[in-house]
Amino acid sequence: MREIYLSGYNNFVLPFMLGMIFVLSWCIIGAIRVILQLPKEDRKRFFMSLVNPKIMLKNIRDWFCDCLFHVKLWKRNKLLGYMHSSIAFGWFMIIVIGHIEVFLYTPERVHQIWYPIFFRYFVAVTESTMKGSFFFFLMDFFLLVILSGITLAIIKRVRSRLFGMRRTTRASITDLIGLYALWSIFPLRLLAEGFTADISGGSFLTKSLNGVLHSFLSDHMNMLPTWWAYSIALGIFMCILPFSRYMHIPAEILLIPMRNAGIKVRHARKGFAKLQVYSCPSCGVCIDACPMGAVKANIKDTTVYLNRQIKRYNEKRIEEISDKCLLCGKCTALCPVGVEGDRMRIAQRSIRKYNLSPDYSNIDENMLLERCNKFVSSTNNDVSSTQNQKVLYFAGCMTALTPVISKSTQSVLQKAGIKFEMMDKDGGICCGRPMLMAGRKEQAEEMVAKNTAIIKASGADTLLLSCPICYKIFKEKYHLEGIEVIHHTEFFDRLINEGRLSIKGSDTRFVYHDPCELGRGCGVYEEPRRVIGRAGVLVEADKNGKESICCGGSLGSLTLSFERRKALTENALNNLTVASPDVIATACPLCRSTFNRYSDRPVKDIAEIIDEATRRKNR
Amino acid sequence: MFGFRISPSSAINLDNVSRDRFSELCRIEPDALRCMACGSCSATCPAAEFSGMSVRKVLLYLQRGKEEEAFKIMNNCMLCGKCTMVCPRGINTRHLLLTICRIYEKEDRR
Amino acid sequence: MKEIVVIIGGGIAGLEAASQLLKLGYTPIIVEKSGQLGGHVAQWNRLFPDMTPAKDLVSDLIASSKDANIFLNAEISFINRLKDNYNVMLSNGISIISRYILFTTGFRLFEAQKKEEYGYGIYNQVITNADLEHWFNTGKDDRINGKEIKSIGFVHCVGSRDEKARNSQCSKVCCITAIKQAIEMKEKFPDAEIYCFYMDLRLFGKKFEDFYIKAQRDHGIHFIRGRVSEVSENIDGNVIVKAEDTLLGKPIKVTLNLLVLMSGMVCNPDSTRSASMLSLPIDSDGFLKSSDNVMHITSSPRNGIYYAGACTGPKTVPETLAEARSAVLEIHSRIIGQQK
Repeated sequence: MREIYLSGYNNFVLPFMLGMIFVLSWCIIGAIRVILQLPKEDRKRFFMSLVNPKIMLKNIRDWFCDCLFHVKLWKRNKLLGYMHSSIAFGWFMIIVIGHIEVFLYTPERVHQIWYPIFFRYFVAVTESTMKGSFFFFLMDFFLLVILSGITLAIIKRVRSRLFGMRRTTRASITDLIGLYALWSIFPLRLLAEGFTADISGGSFLTKSLNGVLHSFLSDHMNMLPTWWAYSIALGIFMCILPFSRYMHIPAEILLIPMRNAGIKVRHARKGFAKLQVYSCPSCGVCIDACPMGAVKANIKDTTVYLNRQIKRYNEKRIEEISDKCLLCGKCTALCPVGVEGDRMRIAQRSIRKYNLSPDYSNIDENMLLERCNKFVSSTNNDVSSTQNQKVLYFAGCMTALTPVISKSTQSVLQKAGIKFEMMDKDGGICCGRPMLMAGRKEQAEEMVAKNTAIIKASGADTLLLSCPICYKIFKEKYHLEGIEVIHHTEFFDRLINEGRLSIKGSDTRFVYHDPCELGRGCGVYEEPRRVIGRAGVLVEADKNGKESICCGGSLGSLTLSFERRKALTENALNNLTVASPDVIATACPLCRSTFNRYSDRPVKDIAEIIDEATRRKNR
Repeated sequence: MFGFRISPSSAINLDNVSRDRFSELCRIEPDALRCMACGSCSATCPAAEFSGMSVRKVLLYLQRGKEEEAFKIMNNCMLCGKCTMVCPRGINTRHLLLTICRIYEKEDRR
Repeated sequence: MKEIVVIIGGGIAGLEAASQLLKLGYTPIIVEKSGQLGGHVAQWNRLFPDMTPAKDLVSDLIASSKDANIFLNAEISFINRLKDNYNVMLSNGISIISRYILFTTGFRLFEAQKKEEYGYGIYNQVITNADLEHWFNTGKDDRINGKEIKSIGFVHCVGSRDEKARNSQCSKVCCITAIKQAIEMKEKFPDAEIYCFYMDLRLFGKKFEDFYIKAQRDHGIHFIRGRVSEVSENIDGNVIVKAEDTLLGKPIKVTLNLLVLMSGMVCNPDSTRSASMLSLPIDSDGFLKSSDNVMHITSSPRNGIYYAGACTGPKTVPETLAEARSAVLEIHSRIIGQQK
């Protein structure tokens, strides 16, 4: 290789350099701001994680898997995955190989950052460098890969359904500018390199294009405008990047190590929350995920629009969007970059001022404790109870309104010979989760403290819960050392495995609805299914597990009125009944009563199903 | 013991009650007008035992200009949502309560 | 030729309509899906306000309509409209061609187990108004027999005036039924304390207020203005009911040996199914929609199709009978008008 121009510079690199300097300084300043906005202990935790080899290894893996290969999107839809990873990985490889070329052939130019980008303009191929044809081939190959991705992106713009997406985001103006700039970068690069391929060398793509171009445009003077165009496209893209959704590219690089360091959203707008907002690629996966999407008017209330409104400081819309959400967590579970739609919304709720300062100091926990510290031994003599386990059963507020669940649970406990006591048979203190969901953390903590005192003083060693809403907060926010917190589905599964409950199956077909707070909230998917499988035939819903659709009754939403939830429930029921089950099984009192209102077939809690299945045997 | 004391009348004079803030509340949460005072919310409320909390009463107090009383009983609300679950008129009581807390400024309370 | 009128539903409205049509010289055909005539009233024991035995009313109606063609255990398979006639195909294979159809399809009692918090079907002490009438009639119900009954509660508005139960309308007759049943129970269990939990007492009919006064003064029945929101069970197998005494503004609870749920009236799904075959409109309350609710309660918007009784909304027995006669008169005038 030899250089054509002594200076190694041409004016056309200016747009690129302008964009590059702008975007680099923007990102560096942004990153420093985000890090400075973190609370002190979080910042420390973040820096510590960077020297932890285990976390660093995970960071590197995540950078490759998430940023370059888009593994999560591959799992959703192959075409969508290919589209994203071809552009991201292809571009990455072109930059890497471009630098390798510079290192190999013109090492003295390394410090000129535009040089690797416009390498082909500045050099001419020589006899000796035909060895470089390997790199030439690679460069053309990855350019082709990117171009195929761009072609798919253009098709997706018109027909998103092909990519497994029913609905996509409506792009903002800056997004559109960025999009068109991005689309034009690589065809322009191909054109520019095509013009110069006979001088600078090239491979199957650029070389053949060069042949075609020279058949009607022989003047080398034509090449300069195309390089200018290429540089301008890059410059526009980089200048618009901080104001468009493409900001997710640099933001995600920082988001991954922060997430791996275990940093949580603590402030509604600053620090990690800000980073999440900028990491949102506006891909619209959350639009299809959102259970509220059953009603078209709700589409604009999905996480992608929340992020967009936060960027625009549109307080009115931020409030509407964050108050309406059911907090089912499905957008968080499916988000390819890991934006936590539910946590973000709770954070938005928490900065709102209310003129009420609840005070729970008048609540007498001793009186409540008096009601629940007499553990009664089971009257069932068939089961020899060797263990001295003391189970405290906290049915929860919602279960008080679906008494069949607490009655069945107690009946099962009796049959298994468990020594138990009910914590809230005559009313109790709310677990605090609904308060937390409303963004009122301090008040929730007061309730947590009251309940903790009662549970610890009761002398129980196991806390059994029927309601997944309670279960989540008891697992995450309560500090009950030495007391096991367990949901009734898990507890029954254990009792069956230990042989303390004998169950007779039937040929009833059950479909299991994963309650949001139990499945996505606490990661309990297997135990309920195992338990149901013992009592009958388990069939699956269309969308299940991590993708289960919220029943619509969630306490998460503050503003969704009763009537407006109906369509959501009906949509969820349609999803559940695809395999025409006889009974809809669930493990949440709220899901049970919500479904029961509109369902055409029986809706039962797992506790009821197990109670019936144990009764069958006794007959 | 049976003497007369000079104390403010406990009677409500509707002529002196301002309806501005309640109208504002109804604009944001029209459900405020749907209550038929059945008492389901108060009966199921876990906080009622401690503070006499009752959404029904809060709404009535506000409509009768007794804002201080309304806020006194709201102090123990845990936002648990049981009242929303039982309300036969389908009132979104949680949002109603939060909206009340935002509209009625502390210093304005009588 | 004697004009045929198809009557869908062999309850009291259908029977009364049939007997009136017979008197006018027409040929009524009653289609009844169950195996017996008399509908809901046949299951009842005594009727307010005169405590008339329901059995007498039903047997009188059956006697006076015995010359009608009656198909028991017959459901409507389909109805379609021919030029001026309707073709009604029954599940027993019989098809009837007629110019007139009278819907007397009535109502369905709200399924009390749908109100999960009241524990019907879960607690052994919770029954419905229909269960209680059945017990009055037969004396058979293990939930009542063989137990010491010291306290009884009646819950008004179960599945009525309740958006959550998907019926926001008042069922009209539950208040008076509850008072009637409370008095009857007090007569059977003089020592028992009886509580009626109501939201609003709606006692609009002839002599209903007398009933109310009688229940208060002669029987000492307690009326508590507050809707029951939670029912739980204690260790002795009794139920604890939670409500608010809204007049005092205090939450109250009471332990009961028996809890009676006053299931309301909801639209009969069979009538909406038949109505949809003729694309008849359904009103916002779920019942069939009359052409207007003042002058033409018994007329549908379609020629030759008429309504009587609770298929257009909750009705008392006298109202239902009056509507049946009124519908027959409408049909009669139309037939006469056509013959001219």
